[in-house]
Amino acid sequence: MSYPTVAEKLAALKVTPATAHEIACMELVSRGAYEIAVQRTADILDEGYEIFMRSSRSSMGVAGDSIVAMFNAHGDLVNASAGTYLHAIIPPIVIKYILRKYSENPGIHDGDIFYTNDALYGGIHNPDQTAIMPVFHKGELVAWTAALSHTTETGACEPGGMPLSATSRFDEGMNLPPMKIGRDFRINNDIIELFSAFGIRAEANVTVDLKARCTTADRVRLRLVEMCEREGPDFVTGLFRKMLIEAETGARRRLMTWPDGVYRCVNFSDAAGLQRGLIRNSYLTMTKRGDHLTLDFDGTSPENLSSYNAHPQAVVGHLANYIYEYVFHDLPISSATFAPIDFLFPEASCLSPTPRAATSNAVMICTGAMSGIANCISRARFPSEEWRQATASMGNGGNAPVIAGTSQWQMPFADMIAYTINTEGQGARCTHDGMDAYGFPWCAFGRAPDVESMENEFPMLVPFSQHWPDSGGHGKYRGGCGTTQFWSAHHVPVLHFLSIADNSSLQTPQPLFGGYAPPTVPGLTLKDTRVSELLAKLEDRALDFHALVRGEFGEVVTEPNGRSARPIEGDKTIAVLMSTGGAGYGDPLDRDPLLVQKDLVAGLCSEWSAREIYKVVWDAARARVDLAATDTLRAEARAARLKRGKPYQEFEKEWSTRRPPESILNLYGSWPDAKPVNPVFRP
Amino acid sequence: MTQTQSFGLLNIGENLKLDLDREHWVCGRCAQDLGSGRENVKHGLLVGEREPSDIHPPLIEGGEFSFSPNAEWVRILEFYCPGCGAQIETEYLPPGHPVTHTTEIDIDSLKARLTRGEIVIEEGHLKVVTP
Repeated sequence: MSYPTVAEKLAALKVTPATAHEIACMELVSRGAYEIAVQRTADILDEGYEIFMRSSRSSMGVAGDSIVAMFNAHGDLVNASAGTYLHAIIPPIVIKYILRKYSENPGIHDGDIFYTNDALYGGIHNPDQTAIMPVFHKGELVAWTAALSHTTETGACEPGGMPLSATSRFDEGMNLPPMKIGRDFRINNDIIELFSAFGIRAEANVTVDLKARCTTADRVRLRLVEMCEREGPDFVTGLFRKMLIEAETGARRRLMTWPDGVYRCVNFSDAAGLQRGLIRNSYLTMTKRGDHLTLDFDGTSPENLSSYNAHPQAVVGHLANYIYEYVFHDLPISSATFAPIDFLFPEASCLSPTPRAATSNAVMICTGAMSGIANCISRARFPSEEWRQATASMGNGGNAPVIAGTSQWQMPFADMIAYTINTEGQGARCTHDGMDAYGFPWCAFGRAPDVESMENEFPMLVPFSQHWPDSGGHGKYRGGCGTTQFWSAHHVPVLHFLSIADNSSLQTPQPLFGGYAPPTVPGLTLKDTRVSELLAKLEDRALDFHALVRGEFGEVVTEPNGRSARPIEGDKTIAVLMSTGGAGYGDPLDRDPLLVQKDLVAGLCSEWSAREIYKVVWDAARARVDLAATDTLRAEARAARLKRGKPYQEFEKEWSTRRPPESILNLYGSWPDAKPVNPVFRP
Repeated sequence: MTQTQSFGLLNIGENLKLDLDREHWVCGRCAQDLGSGRENVKHGLLVGEREPSDIHPPLIEGGEFSFSPNAEWVRILEFYCPGCGAQIETEYLPPGHPVTHTTEIDIDSLKARLTRGEIVIEEGHLKVVTP
């Protein structure tokens, strides 16, 4: 075994020093030519991204949970089209591994196709798969291309690619180290058969997505060859090096605008797979000095015997979601913007587990790091001239329902339906509410499917699909609302359902500057209700979320939102799915009462929240807030705070004597510092 | 730095400022002094502990999983200005978990950069001076 160490993987994220030849080639790139050529790289990548989505078969690929990227000859990321930024940061680890290990045997040649999905070698988790191609021009290696996306079947112990019951990597199905899967621009037939075998639950998804990745990587390769033909390979080499230098310069300049200091955020979750328990899923200490950041995760809970672990480069990928989207949004998606950032991970933690760990739910344990980075960076940015970019955390729920079986078209399927994950609420901004149903915190450009597409593709009926009121964290500016959908099994006698989720007992995001986090999310269904009969009885009445949770349409059953695979009989409820809202910003008593009125009219805020959280006096008959009475109520609320608030020392004296029940500290580590207390045994 | 140089107020949060001359935290709403800017600002604030259901009411009666966080797992701490009751910070923590020191501004570095003229404070925010 020769998988790279954590230190090697983190080192590979850094840009390779420029060679004398690259410096010389930069002279060929005039200022005007540079601007045009940078845009050309973006156009090539956007073309690739469009091809990728149109060629993909699984829901995540169709939704755009993917990235298309180009690299210099050393494997440094030069630019990308997203998709999901988390995929972008990691291919340099794989390309540099290929260059180091495979140059002699099996060799690197024009037309080769390399592939990997193993997080031990640099991936995120094994549903996220990467096709990589070298770009040769007249025998000279000038660049690399890659196409990455998430396919929701890997042949694991449960359908959907992210098995909740996995306890080691040996339960997670296909894990391929970097390997050559094709030559002379063709995928080897035996490899396609390998994918069919691992993807037997959803063969079409798995094999078509494989080909989509290769097709996309090749299209970008072809366009770069054309650029070499037109401008010369030295121009491309000089362009790429100049882009890296410009990106790093821009990143360092941006960091210099923030005050030096130390910023911290602690986040928690309530489950690891099917095991429930408190986890400190991120303890982030961000130190900013000059043009440099250090992100230290010391204090994060130990690794656990579930698939809720993430190898360090996967954590960096999740940080990239926020950093590329909010911090370096105007710079190329580049390795170089991460040059000023260093990372520290505690060994044997859930963010740096030992090699045998299951990590297929890396995306779920990384919600803490995603929330923590938003909080720390917003605190560092708010004092600067970039203060308008400060935001509360996304909800980062990632509640991912999976259904599997044989479809109404007699096709085997196993897929993660992309609606719920792609309609989360955005974190509140410091000048506006978060956007409602903004998207997928893992994939800013992901698209939720139309209900009609879902019903056509899968054996399901979706009787309602609506915003989830009050789901955004309250605040001066509230988090964007998520959504809720009702699913029932349709057209088939049975299907299987499981739900990849957590946070039914607490929520991971911390709010910002006096706002609140979003509410928790239970697993929710209707017991024994035949949906066709329910719909027939409704007549003119709408099937509404609030009426449903009040039990007006049948007995409501709740459980933890992370649910193991179970059969669902035709015409029965699969589940009521919830998409998390974003975290809130600022004191709710500072919220403009007219914004509360607007939300009340739109059905996004309940009368309870208007009265109890925002202290707004609402005249329902006239559909207006009473501004004078609201002022009085808010003054009373502030006076009540002064009455109940304790001086910090007094509070701390009592608070520090308390601790959570022992029964929920099984995953946490030692209390309160979250150090490992027992070794994890994975035979 | 000269003795007469004045630095002014820097916005740190929606309702929180740092008085760089006095090196003290100040309420952004009522200008109440909140203690040394070299300490955790939360030490100068009042703390209100809330039941999670005060903020996130259960939508389903009687069950453990109701859309409301579980009070045994997490509590909501609210940090108020002792002068006006403005809610300056909130933190969701398991009972007894240490309160986080979220923001530690390096005041010496900041003053040095201001003194060198690399940055100025305009309308409460730092602005980089372009040479």
